[in-house]
Amino acid sequence: MKVEFKVNDRKHSIEIKPGELLVETLRRLGYKSVKHACDTASCGACSVQLDGNPVLSCRTFTAAVDGHDVKTVEGFSKEGELSAVQKALVDEGAVQCGFCIPGLVVTAEALLKENLNPNEEEIKTYLNGNLCRCTGYVSQTHAIMKAAEIRRSSTSVPVEKRGESS
Amino acid sequence: MLKIKEYLKPKTIEEAYEFGNLLNSLYVSGGLIVAQLKVSHLERLVDLKTLGMDEIEDGNTVKIGANVKLASFMKNSILSTLNNGFFKEVAKEIGSTQIRNMATIGGSIAFRLGWSDVTTIFMTAKSQVELYDGIFRKMSLENFIKDGKRDQIVTAVYLPKNARFLAFEKFAKSTFDIATLNLGIALSLKDDRIEDVTVVVGSRPMISERVREVEEFLTGKDLLSSMDKAADLMEKVIKVGTDMRASSEYRKALAGALLKKAMRRICHESGIQS
Amino acid sequence: MKVSNVKSSAVAPTEFKVVDTSVSKVDGYALTKGKAVFTDDFNIPNALVVKILRSRHAHAIIKSIDASKALALEGVACVLTHEDVPRVAYTRAGQGYPEPSPYDTFVLDKKVRYVGDAVAIVAAETEEIANRALDLIRVEYEVLPAVLDYEHASDPEMPVIHDEPEISGAYDPSRNIANHYEMHIGDVDEELAKSDIVVEGTYYTPNQSHAMMETHVAISYFDPNGRLTIISSTQVPYHVRRIIRRIFGVESRVIKPRIGGGFGGKQAVHVEAYVTAVTLKTGRPARCVYTREETMTASNTRHAMRFKLRVGASKDGKLQAIDMQGLSNTGAYGEHALTTFMVSGSKTLPLYNKVKAVRFGGDIVYTNTEPAGAFRGYGAPQSTFALDSILDELAYKLGMDPIDFKLKNSIREGETSPIFKVMGEGREGVEQIVQSCKIEECALMGAKHFNWYEKKKRPRIEKTKAHGYGVAFAMQGSSIPAIDMGGATIKMNDDGTFNLMVGATDLGTGSDTILAQIAAEVLHTTTDKIIVYSSDTDITPFDKGAYASSTTYVSGNATKRAAEKMAFEILKAASEIMSEPVEKLHLENGKVISESDRSLTYSEIQTKLFYSFKQRQLEVTESFVSEVSPPPYMVSFAEVEIDLETGKVDVLNFLSYVDCGTPINPKLARGQVEGATAQGIGMALYEEHVSDKNGRIVTNDFFTYKIPAREDIKNIKVEFAKSYEPTGPFGAKSVSEIGLDTPAPAIANAIFDAIGVRIKKLPIKSEDMFFAIKNMVKSL
Repeated sequence: MKVEFKVNDRKHSIEIKPGELLVETLRRLGYKSVKHACDTASCGACSVQLDGNPVLSCRTFTAAVDGHDVKTVEGFSKEGELSAVQKALVDEGAVQCGFCIPGLVVTAEALLKENLNPNEEEIKTYLNGNLCRCTGYVSQTHAIMKAAEIRRSSTSVPVEKRGESS
Repeated sequence: MLKIKEYLKPKTIEEAYEFGNLLNSLYVSGGLIVAQLKVSHLERLVDLKTLGMDEIEDGNTVKIGANVKLASFMKNSILSTLNNGFFKEVAKEIGSTQIRNMATIGGSIAFRLGWSDVTTIFMTAKSQVELYDGIFRKMSLENFIKDGKRDQIVTAVYLPKNARFLAFEKFAKSTFDIATLNLGIALSLKDDRIEDVTVVVGSRPMISERVREVEEFLTGKDLLSSMDKAADLMEKVIKVGTDMRASSEYRKALAGALLKKAMRRICHESGIQS
Repeated sequence: MKVSNVKSSAVAPTEFKVVDTSVSKVDGYALTKGKAVFTDDFNIPNALVVKILRSRHAHAIIKSIDASKALALEGVACVLTHEDVPRVAYTRAGQGYPEPSPYDTFVLDKKVRYVGDAVAIVAAETEEIANRALDLIRVEYEVLPAVLDYEHASDPEMPVIHDEPEISGAYDPSRNIANHYEMHIGDVDEELAKSDIVVEGTYYTPNQSHAMMETHVAISYFDPNGRLTIISSTQVPYHVRRIIRRIFGVESRVIKPRIGGGFGGKQAVHVEAYVTAVTLKTGRPARCVYTREETMTASNTRHAMRFKLRVGASKDGKLQAIDMQGLSNTGAYGEHALTTFMVSGSKTLPLYNKVKAVRFGGDIVYTNTEPAGAFRGYGAPQSTFALDSILDELAYKLGMDPIDFKLKNSIREGETSPIFKVMGEGREGVEQIVQSCKIEECALMGAKHFNWYEKKKRPRIEKTKAHGYGVAFAMQGSSIPAIDMGGATIKMNDDGTFNLMVGATDLGTGSDTILAQIAAEVLHTTTDKIIVYSSDTDITPFDKGAYASSTTYVSGNATKRAAEKMAFEILKAASEIMSEPVEKLHLENGKVISESDRSLTYSEIQTKLFYSFKQRQLEVTESFVSEVSPPPYMVSFAEVEIDLETGKVDVLNFLSYVDCGTPINPKLARGQVEGATAQGIGMALYEEHVSDKNGRIVTNDFFTYKIPAREDIKNIKVEFAKSYEPTGPFGAKSVSEIGLDTPAPAIANAIFDAIGVRIKKLPIKSEDMFFAIKNMVKSL
């Protein structure tokens, strides 16, 4: 069957099998950041944003994505530049093997969209479905706190500028 | 990948029901459960999301469309504030952010999974379900779980609006696991006496069930002094099973323990000193 | 080589410029951007999809295999059975040659020895076709009685699991004993008899799964020149190459890209043999990606172990004797069987070197269960749980604080233990005097930071919750001495950068980064000028691989040596170009500077050497093998909360002080300990496989096998008690494994502190805790 959907603002119009899962389609299209890791909705490594909300691509039928917007981690960094979340993860030593990281970034970006001032508990709760076997999570929580802080200060800049110009 | 021949997107509920009645068809809404099925004879999926059914309507009761996502418990202004934010709080116990963004209330109920937290929560709240099987009909969630038919499409859940105290407890091995046992209790207090009480235990590992013996025992008693005896009674009457997560022995003890925790929670909320 | 003006290792830690700083991982940007850097991300055109048909029986003889229907299916390239692959006995264990593990494995055999054992290899054009073909293969089995309980594996009349004539290196296969080991120092029975207090106990640890996020995966193909190339998610590319040559008699190139975690699980040949068999048979590229279920049930677990312990002490708290009798379950094959068991002794017992007599021994047995293998800690987490728990009990019975008791009996700088010499890995060890040991600082600083003495005065039980505080001590090693070798090559470029080529295998640990730091420190440049290329057997020098806590120590020392040699080469070349004696030159900030203040940048030097002056490429290779294995040390403190109504245990606080010498990169070293701690908490509280009565693992996914999730990990804190290990690169010792040793005993000791129940079996299940509490209340 034919479906049409956007990945990171790029339109894809493709032929799929009716039982195809989004993780399979995305990897086939070259979005290799989307990982097969557990296939039982238990680890979050396949997370992508669907219309802005993090979902598990290993449990999403591609047929159901027809007409919708998908965002993978490739959509969060411009070439040669990392998002605040990505940069904080690297800076805080929160990336070890890195296999869970794309799914984590995608979910953490959604968290910061909903809550730009999360405390540690809120971060852990929001990201509890993103397993990591390497880090013990400590540094990742710190990284997301830091990213939120950076984003808070950067979003406050335009507000001030607006205030000055008016 | 599921080996199916067709992924159907019906335009009307009548069409969905017709597709669903074709041989080897299955309804899908969030996809979470269906995508992992290892059913060799499955031929087609009927996507119910195309029917909308994703509205939350406030009235004498709150009507929750079957395709409403569990994330709405936290985000929707009606649901997240109902019963002192009860639904917002308990949603954190269910699955994960991603799962709550996918799982629908209809799917959580219709599959009759033993470990469903949603079924326990909504049964405790004495919800009604709206079904379609050629005509629309309404029945209590409790009866639907017991007697509902597989080909019926769950189209909505009706949540009664009242001032009952609601509490939900879930015991799981880790914070990202299905319940070893879950329990819900709802009650009113009149002159500090318990009235209109509902007690539901789920993930026994069998599906959620009301525990009427405990409800009857609690009726007319005061919360604080009845707690230990109610828990003892719960351990005696609750029907539980053994699986890889726990023995029936332990589940009985958990049912009593969770009842006490839930009752203490209501004590706290209602200002009773425990 | 002695060059006075090249920085030697004996400098004080404060002089470091690059080492002991937290530079960011060199692969961090690619990983966070989700670049296609893992094995399965590689697009190899026309690769066949390889799937394995697996046994449903725990123990059976294959009478016949009918693959005709599968072969008739369009798109099936081949179906290989035991008749189609070389019958060569080997071990999947990725160890130095000759391996101390028995040769008891075949790519495919006519006998299956556990549920999940390989029966046939299928290769097809698509995954769908390959899966359909699996369903179409008919196998006739003669089902044999199975050995599922390792405590009875060597009982008389038990079925024999390894009766194949080709087996070698096993101790007594006719009694299902893969290996046996025993040692003693002094007279244990006599010392126990003389002891004022003797404590006994039996301890069990389970078959934990590695649960790395990336499953096992490999791709094989012939390159344009017909050379077999294997891209694999492996910790041991050189051992894979050697073992593939042993089995198939074929030379190959093994490339390790980024790996999605290993923890020892990838210190073995898993999928590489299957894809190789297919590529050799069909001439086509082949890709095999294990499912999560295969990774959970048909690769490796931690060896489940039982330890029976007797320890004795004098009234004044002097440890007199340790008698430690073990039993280890290696499952269907003896991978890492002997060595993990020996490490159980050799990486715990030397810690208490004041003891008068020690006896250690036991069997490592075969059973019809998933093969055990290497897993971070490698036997030490199992034995540390047993030994530290019983010493805590002994301290309690002596009326001593466990910190005082353990410190009184533990090793210090300048001391040794006879066990270092007696026990190695699979053979004798090496004598060594401990030159760096901050165990006392770890304990005392940790106790202060944790508020140990103040917390111990608090009430333990309040309403429905109990709180308890526990401490655990551990040591590990740094490399397998006199066996493990690593090499490093450094090449200078005309832009002032250096290519650092190492066989060392970064499996997410950050070794590429810390090796770059070591090179940068020696070469007086910055980490970004060191371009690391690792783990490609056709290009990088040999390295044993990533295991045995050896990369920082062995590969780090090799890198340091290579960098020192390169530094000398640079000075020599500069001396020729500048016509100044070498003695008057030194390296600084990417330049050679003379006493007369003339300078040449590295870029200028190599540019001249390329095009205009005594033309040559500066390139050096050095190797390192250690004569000793200096242990890191660690003391951890746990605060647990127990829900008395349900038996649930939560670890509220976990604080560790670690002596890993100089942490080359404190941020990454801390991450190693934090991650290992979480795995240790998983081992202590959650992780266990459940099998049905036929030996099939039912906890075969992340839905049923629970590793700690984010909210399960409350508060982990890691601090360093720095020491300076003179044999390590810039004073460094290992740090990757030790963090897994302390959580289980610290948590178990804290539970005793809270409610007086001694935990002797892992994982500590809520259900068991609940009934223990109930029985205790009853008996009051």
